[in-house]
Amino acid sequence: MTVIDTSSPAPMSALRAAAVVVLIIVGFFMPRLLGGGSVAYSTLTTIAIFAVMCYGVDLVLSYLGEVSLGHTLFWAIGGYAAANLSVKYGLNGWSTALAAIALCIAAALFLGMVTLRTREFVFSLVTYAAAVVAYEIAFNWDAIGGSDGVVGIPALILPFGFATFSGLSQEDLWPVAFVLLLLTLGFIARFRRSKLGTTALMVQMNPALATSLGVDPRKIRLAVFVLSAPITGLAGWLYGYQRGYVGPDMFESYFLVLMLTAVVLVGRRILIGPLIGIALLIAQQNLLSLGGDWNKIILGSILAIVLILWPTGLVGLYRRFGKINSSK
Amino acid sequence: MNIAQQIINGIVLGSGYACIALGWTILLGVARLVNFAHGQLYMLGAFVAWYAITRLGLSYPLAIVVAALFLALLGALMQGAMMGLVMTQNLTSLMIVTLGLGYVIQGGSALIFGGNPHTFPGTLVRAKIDIGPLWFTWQDVLVLVVTLVLYGAVWWFTQKTRYGSVIRAVAEDSKLAGLFGINAQVVYLLVFMFECAAVAIGAALVAPRSPILTSMGFNEVIMTFVVVVVGGIGSIGGALAAGLGLGLFTAFFGAFVAHAYTTAAAFALMLVLLVVRPAGLAAK
Repeated sequence: MTVIDTSSPAPMSALRAAAVVVLIIVGFFMPRLLGGGSVAYSTLTTIAIFAVMCYGVDLVLSYLGEVSLGHTLFWAIGGYAAANLSVKYGLNGWSTALAAIALCIAAALFLGMVTLRTREFVFSLVTYAAAVVAYEIAFNWDAIGGSDGVVGIPALILPFGFATFSGLSQEDLWPVAFVLLLLTLGFIARFRRSKLGTTALMVQMNPALATSLGVDPRKIRLAVFVLSAPITGLAGWLYGYQRGYVGPDMFESYFLVLMLTAVVLVGRRILIGPLIGIALLIAQQNLLSLGGDWNKIILGSILAIVLILWPTGLVGLYRRFGKINSSK
Repeated sequence: MNIAQQIINGIVLGSGYACIALGWTILLGVARLVNFAHGQLYMLGAFVAWYAITRLGLSYPLAIVVAALFLALLGALMQGAMMGLVMTQNLTSLMIVTLGLGYVIQGGSALIFGGNPHTFPGTLVRAKIDIGPLWFTWQDVLVLVVTLVLYGAVWWFTQKTRYGSVIRAVAEDSKLAGLFGINAQVVYLLVFMFECAAVAIGAALVAPRSPILTSMGFNEVIMTFVVVVVGGIGSIGGALAAGLGLGLFTAFFGAFVAHAYTTAAAFALMLVLLVVRPAGLAAK
């Protein structure tokens, strides 16, 4: 569709590269531009972390066209890996990140393999059930924190050989969150042009064509699902360090609804769509909050209304209005 | 004697699982639709029945009817809003929309009913029956009887009546059914209303066994998934058998292995079955 056509597979022009560099620089100094207070830093760090979390779901929902309801599981795996390994074994950030990635891939492989030969809604059903069941296990298993979770997560330590990064405050964590977001965006952009990315789109748009070309849609689903898990997992990993506490609340359906809403709000298959979506949603919750229960109603309603009324998201809505105006 | 008591507990639990899963079985099997707000609808059904008893002063049987009617109405509203997605069989969006609506129901219920646990008065939960060392309650008998009657009625309605064939025709090919003068929209609407009313009845019968909270419902969703998948998707007799079997499994697992991990064990059971017989279980 048109949304895909706009991202030309041709190499970036010099102008475009320059624009991207300027955007990255402006993005990095964004907390300064917003006043430089600790609220600006913590809000933008949260947005960056949550955006990375959403990109895991984005990969599955936008490019594969299937629904994973289990990404809170990977989100929590990242957090629990960071918490348990840093508190109990004093491991540094690189080790806990590697562990988070490995555990997420293992969990996604397991769930993907189990549902490999089933129909699509069974995949959604199993991923949803997996997250609920993992919550129950995390809640009852005292060795990994139990119902109290893990408190007192130390500062994020990232040794670089020549120097060691130590992130204790929100100001310190902002560069890490920003770099993680950039890496994720780069990865998604690369994925969109990759063979797997285009094949996944073909499976979604024209399954008959894909099958006739010898593509096994189920294997593509498994590959994309496994690829998406560590993205959300790394977001959970950083979230653990940011909050200094990890508990069973990471499994809450709030995160699941948030991920899905951020992806569909702006429009699927748009590179920076989830980032803008999550920024809008976090801004609503932080600046225009009406209390927890009302926020639930707002978030759930946005998700339902967007999919029912404007399935192409805000971008589709904008285009439709543009069309109406130009046809006058 | 512990074994005999666990068998009774299993049947008690299982009839509850089967009762709660009936609506999902019909929705998925007969209309090929899904509803991820199932757990929150269960919670809401329980709270509406509780509200009808404690605040409106209705009797328990009347409260069950009120809960069923209220949720049927809510189901009609939900399905009316989602009709575009239903008619295009957009299962991906339907899953997400129902999930979002479930989240709205959860937030709305917490606003209206508050965050405190409540207990049901006026039910048969305390009416205990002792047979030697074994015991169960009249509420358990009620759940079992209602479940069997509902399953029997639904099986007869979908398999033996003209209306049942109409519903199955719409599920098979809604456009073709339209050519024969069947209004598919009305059929989908009625099936979805039935799913909501059925889960309300299940909630009003099963939930009084323990205090109710607006955050509950997740456990029931997992058990419903297991019942539907293990029973063979859409099979009414299969769902009843799977419900009772799952009840026995969780009763024994909870009593002899680990009570805290019964849901996890039920989920593991479903995964094993999905690997062993994916086509047999997924195919209608």
